[in-house]
Amino acid sequence: MTKEKTEKPVLTDEQKRIRRKAIFNRYKAWLYLLPAIVILLIFTVWPIINTIRISMLRNYDSMQELGGATFEFGFGNFAAVARYDKFLTCLGNTMLLTVITVPISTMLALLIAVGLNSIKVFRKAFQTIFFLPYVTNSIAIGMVFMTMFQMIGRVESPVSLGIINTIIEAFGGTRVNWVNVGSNYWANIAVLSIYIIWNALPFKILVLLGGLQGVNKQYYDAAKVDGASRIRTFWRITVPLLSPMIAYVVITGFIGGFKEYSSIVGIFGESMGPVGNKGSLNTMVGFIYDNIQQNQGRASAAALILFAIIFVVTMINLYVSKKKVHY
Amino acid sequence: MEQTNIPETVPSETAPEPVSPPVKAMKEKDIKSVSVKQRVTKIFVQFVLYAFLTILAVSILFPFYWMLISSLKTLTEYNEMIPTLWPKQFCWDNYVTAFTGELDLGRLFLNTVIVGVVSTLLSLVVTIISAYAFARLEFKGKNLMFGALLATMMIPGELFTITNYITVSAFGWLNTFTVLIVPFLVSVFYIYLLRQNFMQIPNELYLAAKVDGTSDFKYLWRVMVPLSAPTLISITILKMMGAWNSYIWPRLVANDAAHKLVTVGLRGTAFMDLATNMVNYPAQMAAVVIVTIPLLLVFIFFRKYIMRGVSRSGIKG
Amino acid sequence: MKKKIGAVLLAGVMACSMSFGLAACGSKAKPDFVMPEGGFDTETPVTISFYHTMSSSPTAAGRSLQEVLNSAIGRFNELYPNITVDHQQIGGYPEVRDQISKELTAGNQPNLAYCYPDHVAMYNVGNAVQPLNDFLSDGAYKNEKVTRADGTTVNLAMTKEQEESFIPGYWQEGYGFGDGSKMYTLPFSKSTEVLYYNKTEFDKNGWTPPTTWDEMEDICEKIDAKYNANEQSGEHVYGFGYDSEDNWFITMCEQYGSPYTSAEGSHYLFNNDKNKEFVTRFADWYDKGYFQTRALYGNTYTSALFTAATGEKTLMCIGSSAGASHQLPAADDTGKYPFEVGIVPIPQVDTSNPKAISQGPSVCIFKNEDPQKVLASWLFLQFLTTDIAFQAEFAICSGYIPVLKESVMRTNSVYAAELDGADGGAHIAALSVKVALEQENSYYTSPAFVGSSKARDEVGALMQAVFGKTKSVDKAFADAISECEYYS
Repeated sequence: MTKEKTEKPVLTDEQKRIRRKAIFNRYKAWLYLLPAIVILLIFTVWPIINTIRISMLRNYDSMQELGGATFEFGFGNFAAVARYDKFLTCLGNTMLLTVITVPISTMLALLIAVGLNSIKVFRKAFQTIFFLPYVTNSIAIGMVFMTMFQMIGRVESPVSLGIINTIIEAFGGTRVNWVNVGSNYWANIAVLSIYIIWNALPFKILVLLGGLQGVNKQYYDAAKVDGASRIRTFWRITVPLLSPMIAYVVITGFIGGFKEYSSIVGIFGESMGPVGNKGSLNTMVGFIYDNIQQNQGRASAAALILFAIIFVVTMINLYVSKKKVHY
Repeated sequence: MEQTNIPETVPSETAPEPVSPPVKAMKEKDIKSVSVKQRVTKIFVQFVLYAFLTILAVSILFPFYWMLISSLKTLTEYNEMIPTLWPKQFCWDNYVTAFTGELDLGRLFLNTVIVGVVSTLLSLVVTIISAYAFARLEFKGKNLMFGALLATMMIPGELFTITNYITVSAFGWLNTFTVLIVPFLVSVFYIYLLRQNFMQIPNELYLAAKVDGTSDFKYLWRVMVPLSAPTLISITILKMMGAWNSYIWPRLVANDAAHKLVTVGLRGTAFMDLATNMVNYPAQMAAVVIVTIPLLLVFIFFRKYIMRGVSRSGIKG
Repeated sequence: MKKKIGAVLLAGVMACSMSFGLAACGSKAKPDFVMPEGGFDTETPVTISFYHTMSSSPTAAGRSLQEVLNSAIGRFNELYPNITVDHQQIGGYPEVRDQISKELTAGNQPNLAYCYPDHVAMYNVGNAVQPLNDFLSDGAYKNEKVTRADGTTVNLAMTKEQEESFIPGYWQEGYGFGDGSKMYTLPFSKSTEVLYYNKTEFDKNGWTPPTTWDEMEDICEKIDAKYNANEQSGEHVYGFGYDSEDNWFITMCEQYGSPYTSAEGSHYLFNNDKNKEFVTRFADWYDKGYFQTRALYGNTYTSALFTAATGEKTLMCIGSSAGASHQLPAADDTGKYPFEVGIVPIPQVDTSNPKAISQGPSVCIFKNEDPQKVLASWLFLQFLTTDIAFQAEFAICSGYIPVLKESVMRTNSVYAAELDGADGGAHIAALSVKVALEQENSYYTSPAFVGSSKARDEVGALMQAVFGKTKSVDKAFADAISECEYYS
């Protein structure tokens, strides 16, 4: 990208040839993109257009359409979404979880990736372990979390505290009602954040480790010769060189975070909240799911609203990364 | 390729430090004090590093461990109020229960492998050429196009299911391998990931290739693809996992025995007592463990490659 | 009232005129199904698909439900060799519903499927379910014959005798849609809720299991006084456990005769004083430590409390009759059980007008452009629901109740022996079936409409909120109503 600026004055003779090539390249690029474009048009763009159409049909339901019903055209679905008294709850939960989990998981993944890359003893063992999440079934992960945080019995006098509370009490702390009936909102959010970070780590480690493998070791050798400290090397060499991958995990992390749903189901079940507080932890996608069976019109409208939010956030992310990412 | 690289992959921090001429010129005393200080810091850093990795490793191992012991508990023990950390008695019967049903496991595996391998290979090709176009080629509307591509990731995919279902029915693709492979060939996530990687490769290489008269295509396969091997392996792993774990779409579009995938065969209520909604988790976990083993082997094999890195000869930083 | 009838008639006339033209609208018994020339074709091969939730892994009885189904299909094929039944398990009930609702949009739906009433209400919005009235003993095709491969010629439609062999409450469920004039489903296998109790402990104290909720309160008070007087931490003994708060709420509405939901008009009627009264009463019981539910106890099935050998436990448990095997404590090495389990009907408000929930799958047939497929599906469904051997095997294997009357089922010797051998130990499943059959006249089903499952979820959540003191009674009811109405 920076090539034009730096190369122009040097390659004046070559310039014309490259320009001519560029005209040819314009078509060639589309040729390269052709398979992707065709598949995306059929299986992504068309459904999006259909989603927009459906969002404009008030209370659209495919079963009703099958039965011959017609639907009023307009913005009624969007109004219905905005009118939902828990709409702000869903939006707030979604944003909160994203803002908490994306930076923490990215930082942790970065530290692990760098750590894995810089140890010698047990290196293979550690690397193998950090790959295990890929073959660990998600049901197992969900169940482990239940056993770790859940108290069994009455909250006032539980018969089992869960591993986390047992550890807390062993260190002299007071136990916390993490997920049971009557639990506090922030305790719920803490558990969800840990769960989401845990789930997000493997993918981020994989990507960042892949990126680190591509980094030329000569940079580090140079830093060594210069006598740079580890921390300095990390911030001055590792982070900038990895910045494209970091930008990638942050941007996709935000997109994924705004689509958070399954982790809440994993811990709290379809009621999307602790017992006695149904829906208190619902998210935007959860709200879409609640509507998808019988009111696809409203579900589509909610999805487009969510899309608009993610779009704005991603554009900001891209703008920031353009300034900071070092290619 | 592997052999030549082994020396390079030794982490620079732990590699024996070659003593460079300027250091030799220093006074002996200085060298000693510096090296002692360095050694102490080094040991401390290593200690912190190992502690950090160990804690995280344990937390990552725990669910895996849980999966294994759960598969060996009796249903009664599993349902006890206070979960046990080690099975009181090993119930190997769960493994028998998991597969004494009418599941044709061989067929399920075969179908999954076919879909996994074919879709991974095709997907890699599509991803590579698309990422190349975005990273290296200049064309009108490139940024707009890339932005639009990113935007498609932002709509919850569940909304696409019904429309796509109608589309594939119209194509007559139900109960074929095509329907399991084609709709998901293009992953914007992977194109974006690979583009990031491609953009890191210095421009000088491309320009040099141009001067040598190498075609774009040749340059892509000869230079860029090998240089991006770690990322391509990551994509392969993720894509394979996707084939192994995909459930909702395969269940919807390919339910017949000839195309059914492992997850479709194993999930659902195969292990659920419908009257009480009680799931026979031990048997389900046993099934999951059996399905996991081939995958685990593939991973242990891949780990070697992903960690080894690739040849970086010819690149100047 | 008159106005409503008029409207229905008008709508009927309009529907007729649109689809068949006015001339055809004269006769009252206009069939929903058009019989093809020559009736059912016993020669040309025909394949029908059947979606269900039957598992392929063996149950406690040692066989899988799919094996039982396959053996029935084998016998069916001896009679109708040209019909191939392609059956598959599609996850659980919600998965079956979701799969079919998507398939309907592309016209790929199966021919038959397991269903719950709210599923059928939903499919009916798309006008997709085949009404069965034409195939009943008073239907349009009551005289239609079909010759089977064994040489016998039988009625294509149900005979009066076959219809009367069904348990009336179950048969009637098929009419629970719209104005109730059409039958859309046949019952397949059923369950209800029963009260399991620790007979050994009850006998020791000279107690009898409660028949009313007032008696339940007394017993719980006695249990609390006897076992929790010098309570050690982690040793509390509860009166009973109840896993399903939603069933509890709906059953109480039925027993009190207070409104819950209605199929027509404004659907959600459960926000009333009577309902608040019983919820408040039970919340008081919860405070006193009389009962536990699965959700409140930290996601632990109350059967685990009922069968617990040490620590906290319950002496009674209300649960599905088909889940009896989970209510049996683990036997020791000599095969002896730590206590004997007794089973009785659930407590009532008024024992002269008892009500107990009816659960379990029915089967519906989907409309299809190929009339032979519809006929083949009908023959298969008729076979499954009226074949005594299949109903018996299925019941023994699953713990579900057969849909045919006990007197009819007893003609099957294996089944009769199973029922006669019922006890509170190894043959507990048979005991629960026996008790469930005693409640035959108590069965109710709540109105099915699009959104009825939402109401069920919300009343369950409402009970949890009040018991757990996270919301006041009024707030919990108001929240539940507003959620239901937003999604209706």
